[in-house]
Amino acid sequence: MEGAADSGRAAALARLLHRDCTRLLQLYKERESFLSQHAPGGERLVTLALCPEALSTGEQVGHVRSALRRCMGLLECLIVREVEEMGEELEGEYESLRKTVRDRLGHLLHSTGALLEEGEGGCPPSPPLQCTEGQDEVDGSDSFAAKRWTYRVLLELIHWTDSASQTLHLFHSEKHGQQQQQLL
Amino acid sequence: MTSCGSDIPEKSESFMFPQDKVVPVGSNMTFCCIVKEKDDFKEMMYGRQEMSATRLSRRTYAITVTNQPASGNTGTNVICCSQRLTLTGAVVFVGYPPGDEGLVCETRDLASAECSWKKGRDTRLRMKRSRTKYTLNGRDCLEANERKTWWCSSKVWEESWTLVARNPLGTVQLTDSAQLTDRVHLLAPVNVTAVEVEAWSATLQWSWSVASYKKLEMVCQLQLFAHELSSTRNYSGPGLSSVVLESLRPDVDYTVTLRCGSKHSFWKWGNESAPFRIHTKMDRPDALDVWMWMDSSNTGRVFWKPLSVRKSHGALVGYEVSQSSAEEDGRTPVSLPPGNFSYPIILNNSSDITVAVAARNPAGLSHVTLHALSVISFPVDSQLSVSELLGTNGSFVLSWQPNVNASSGYAVEWVPTGCSGLCPVDWKKVPESDCSFTVNSDSLVAGVRYTVSVYSLSTGALTLLQRWQGYSQEMIPSQSVSKLSPIQTGSDVLLSWKATAMEHQRGFIRGYTVYLANAAHLDLIANISDPEVQSYRVKGLSPSFYKFVVKAYTSAGEDAGSTVDIKIEMDTADMLFVGILVPLGIMFCCLILISICCYKKREWVKKAFYPEIPGPKVPGDWSSPQGPLDVKPSPHSLVHIVENPERDFTKEGLFLVPEEEEESENDNIEVDTDSDEPALLRYYNQVVGDGSHSNQVSDSSGSSTASVGSTQTEITYAGIQSPTSSQGACGGGGYRPQMQSVAGPAEPQIEFEADFQDDGLNTGYKPQCSWQLDSPEAENFSGSLGSPTSVTSSQFLIPESSEEKPQPSNTWFHNFLSGKS
Repeated sequence: MEGAADSGRAAALARLLHRDCTRLLQLYKERESFLSQHAPGGERLVTLALCPEALSTGEQVGHVRSALRRCMGLLECLIVREVEEMGEELEGEYESLRKTVRDRLGHLLHSTGALLEEGEGGCPPSPPLQCTEGQDEVDGSDSFAAKRWTYRVLLELIHWTDSASQTLHLFHSEKHGQQQQQLL
Repeated sequence: MTSCGSDIPEKSESFMFPQDKVVPVGSNMTFCCIVKEKDDFKEMMYGRQEMSATRLSRRTYAITVTNQPASGNTGTNVICCSQRLTLTGAVVFVGYPPGDEGLVCETRDLASAECSWKKGRDTRLRMKRSRTKYTLNGRDCLEANERKTWWCSSKVWEESWTLVARNPLGTVQLTDSAQLTDRVHLLAPVNVTAVEVEAWSATLQWSWSVASYKKLEMVCQLQLFAHELSSTRNYSGPGLSSVVLESLRPDVDYTVTLRCGSKHSFWKWGNESAPFRIHTKMDRPDALDVWMWMDSSNTGRVFWKPLSVRKSHGALVGYEVSQSSAEEDGRTPVSLPPGNFSYPIILNNSSDITVAVAARNPAGLSHVTLHALSVISFPVDSQLSVSELLGTNGSFVLSWQPNVNASSGYAVEWVPTGCSGLCPVDWKKVPESDCSFTVNSDSLVAGVRYTVSVYSLSTGALTLLQRWQGYSQEMIPSQSVSKLSPIQTGSDVLLSWKATAMEHQRGFIRGYTVYLANAAHLDLIANISDPEVQSYRVKGLSPSFYKFVVKAYTSAGEDAGSTVDIKIEMDTADMLFVGILVPLGIMFCCLILISICCYKKREWVKKAFYPEIPGPKVPGDWSSPQGPLDVKPSPHSLVHIVENPERDFTKEGLFLVPEEEEESENDNIEVDTDSDEPALLRYYNQVVGDGSHSNQVSDSSGSSTASVGSTQTEITYAGIQSPTSSQGACGGGGYRPQMQSVAGPAEPQIEFEADFQDDGLNTGYKPQCSWQLDSPEAENFSGSLGSPTSVTSSQFLIPESSEEKPQPSNTWFHNFLSGKS
């Protein structure tokens, strides 16, 4: 019974985190008004191209977890950059929610890791994340490019937390069904 | 700035110039957007504002922004858009140059320096690369640059300081110079503690974190907080590290803070120490304020006022009361718990007593307060006159003449008048220099009469100087007059009442008002301004129902009033007069009127009520006497008296009894007066002359006589008499129609037929019997005189006119009817 309960909690956490990430992007768009008019283009920052095909739900959970780990790296880079540039003077709703998203994403990673068997659904390790990625090629710091990159990171968070919510929900349903059968 | 050669095919991506510029507020800038190859261009925007772009080349567009406002925390975004998406953009930071000012350097440790300044206007530049950078005397100010504070430290005091504040938009330079000793700013004392805490003092100690403070001549300021009150005390000395706090209060919780500064060239107070608590010890309470009050010659109470916390010097545990007199030694003191503020005193054949009262707390007993009482000088029923005292805004303002014997001052006492037992006695002792005092309204109750007394105090003696009675604030009486009763006296009503009891007056009664209550309102009928008057007479009331209202009034107004009803009725004498005499008077008046009318119309009255009976017209001479005429009366029914007690009720009335023989001998007929048979009647016809014939009636059967008047009138009366009747009227005869009383129906009337021409009737019918008024026979005729049957007169009996008619010799009655005297 514990497995079903854990998967249920993980699914719920994923749903909550998805809502937080959506709100975080909304706050960022209110501050950087240009994002409300035309979304900047660009490739995806987090993909599963290197991951093997996920045949089972458990493997899907593993894949999603790998993507979320990548998102965690991006989010931490984002926070470091913003603190570096703006300092810690600002303590608005955006900064507070940004911190909450980071903490809950860490809990979700831990929760999903506990659900998986050894090596289940894992993807090949991706190259270490360079926080300088996303900057424009123009010499000097490019604040606009950094804003566009921040926007893309927040989009990735929304996408992968939504995927994790759906996958974990399916995973929980299967777990729960199996346990019901075992009891019978 | 011009960037050349960027609109070239090799650089096919979109980008914008310039990037991340920092410009001052109010600047003008031009932004260039190079659109990616084969992408369309739609617009450029500065922040949220759509700008009008200028095409510079095939895929280059530019906008110019003027008078740029300050940007937000993350700068102002400038974007270049196609139809579908944002192609490229840039961020510009618009702000202000540094505005720092007021550099001041000081030392905290008498060696190093700390320089601080004011930030000034916000530069609006948040990005790290745009922030203001500081250097102090050429050295980077890490505290300001990293921790974003506005002070710099220097390990060495340099007496001259220069601070440079720089950002991409400008530079500002601040300077300061001073001696170290002039800029001493001490740190807070540490390890503050209290040693030797007593009831009235305490010793405070502390230490310094900087060793060099010990040599510094400093002044320290100590803040004492207790019971929401604070006091400040200053102490000085080199390296001050302890002070003795004097004049503390026992059993008080103090909070102490301490700060020090350089005594010479005082710059500023150093940091304040953390608060420290001190609780002083208890001490014996202060002496009590004691007063004695006698409510009778040998009973009273000793009162004392509760001690304030300040004077208690610790929570009281009780009081001790002892009493002594000249005759007796001191008694065992009585212990009373706290909360008691009085104790009864009884004098046992002693005129002078001394009462001692003391308060006790854990530290000990207070100084004893002695109150010497001399009954003689403290009379209960003083003969001193009592004055009226009026309140002033709810207070009593008192003043009295100084008294040379008041070596210990004066005492003012006030107590509700008439109170006995445990009374709310209050007092105040004033020094001998004061001859006035105001009893505050806080200790007085409106509507309550107080007796206020002033005593002179001297060693062991009290002397009453002056006494008043008054109200701090008069109110309308709470109860009205009592026993209101009316007493009717004729048309007056005397209202009387009893005055309201003093405890209900609530003010000095100034008088009474009397009202007459109508249906809807009260009519004032009297205002009695003398409160001693307790009655009023209402005069001239007509019989009716009245309702009177009497109200007592003070200076505050009238009370609700007492009501009494009374119904005014007529006087007994009046009733007699009206009920009896008036009708009598009316009746007599009516009789008089009737008499007058009758007199005026006497002839008509005569005709109506007393007509003359016309005489018979008898042909022939009736002057000769004729023999008696025996007339057999008509038979009538006889009534047998049946002496049978059993009456037959079936029969009504009487029944006819057959007639019996009626005839009988004429002369021997005995008139049976007891029988029912009618007697044979014999009439005599005899003319009476001048009176000479008055004695000729000798016929036993009676005779009729004729009366002769004094003139020439002859009136013949018919006398009916039974033959056997003896001598009677008219000389043995006469009309005696009712000589025999017969129990039975009335005898039928005997109808006479004046047929006197039947001479054959000589049976003695003498219907006319003459008599004279003055004749001696008149008396005898009184019983048998009948009605006149004929009148012979030579004069007109009935005059035709009442004028000059000779008055007949008639009776007064006739005279009255005829209207003659």
